Amino acid sequence: MPAFRNIRMCDKDCMCLYVCPTGATDTENSIIDASKCIAGCSACAAACPAGAISIVPDSYPPQQPKVKSVIATQLALVQSKVEQEQIALEIARSTQDPVTKQFATAIAKSNLRMAEDIVREAGYMLPQSVQARELLQSMLDSAPEGFPKDAVELLLKKL
Amino acid sequence: MKHHDEELRELSAGEISAICSSLAKGCEKQRLNAEMEAFNKIADYYKSKARTESGKTFTDIADLLNRDQTESFPAANASAQAAADRGALRSLTWSKKVSAMCDVLLKRFDKEGEAMLANNKIFICDICGFVYVGNTPPELCPICKVPKHKILEVKRG
Repeated sequence: MPAFRNIRMCDKDCMCLYVCPTGATDTENSIIDASKCIAGCSACAAACPAGAISIVPDSYPPQQPKVKSVIATQLALVQSKVEQEQIALEIARSTQDPVTKQFATAIAKSNLRMAEDIVREAGYMLPQSVQARELLQSMLDSAPEGFPKDAVELLLKKL
Repeated sequence: MKHHDEELRELSAGEISAICSSLAKGCEKQRLNAEMEAFNKIADYYKSKARTESGKTFTDIADLLNRDQTESFPAANASAQAAADRGALRSLTWSKKVSAMCDVLLKRFDKEGEAMLANNKIFICDICGFVYVGNTPPELCPICKVPKHKILEVKRG
């Protein structure tokens, strides 16, 4: 469980430098050195007055179970939002007008953000979940040319 | 592409892309950089396969929005409520508000045209999709309450 510093919240109180037994918190780029960080120590997180350091968990509890009807209705909305995203992207691609392009791009982005959020609540919250793994696995069944098979294999191995 | 549950319909390329870009964000939160990049790579692949027929307009988006508001949101709310699924209800509250804002902006753009953005910038909340038209985005997103550094400008050109 390495410590992680949120640089945006860091007030440079530097208490982490005083308490870290290995110097893992003392780096030029402000990113805590995970190779020096002692698992289970968390002295820096406890000492930081700004609350800028947290401990990244090694493992996560299983995802909250989802009822089938909820998955279905969430996915119906995801389908609609993705369709709206696709239409907006197509408008942005085909127009010559910069303002229409800008507006269409914004509408596409908004719809993708909605789709991503709704789909998390359709059983795809955790990358380590059974659902995510099964989706990845099913991609390998029919991997056409140009498909990033290496990325899928890396995920199935590491997650 | 089969969903994990055989009783559910197959997912489209666009949906798989959204699932993967969402899981990439999940990896980013866990500081799993290689995994985040891998999910983004898969998301990009499926995004390149997702296409809609050409010739559609903002009116087609407005029609889908209308169907969301009259059918899909009420149905989703009913099933989330029946299952007491707080997470799903939360996501629906946010996206319903964002959808209503998109609807208003589509109507305004239809009426005002480019004048709507003549002296205004446009920003999107990177967390919930909130759309802001103007020059000073709010300190906190009015929908998901994230600080404004997550509300990103969509530039022209």
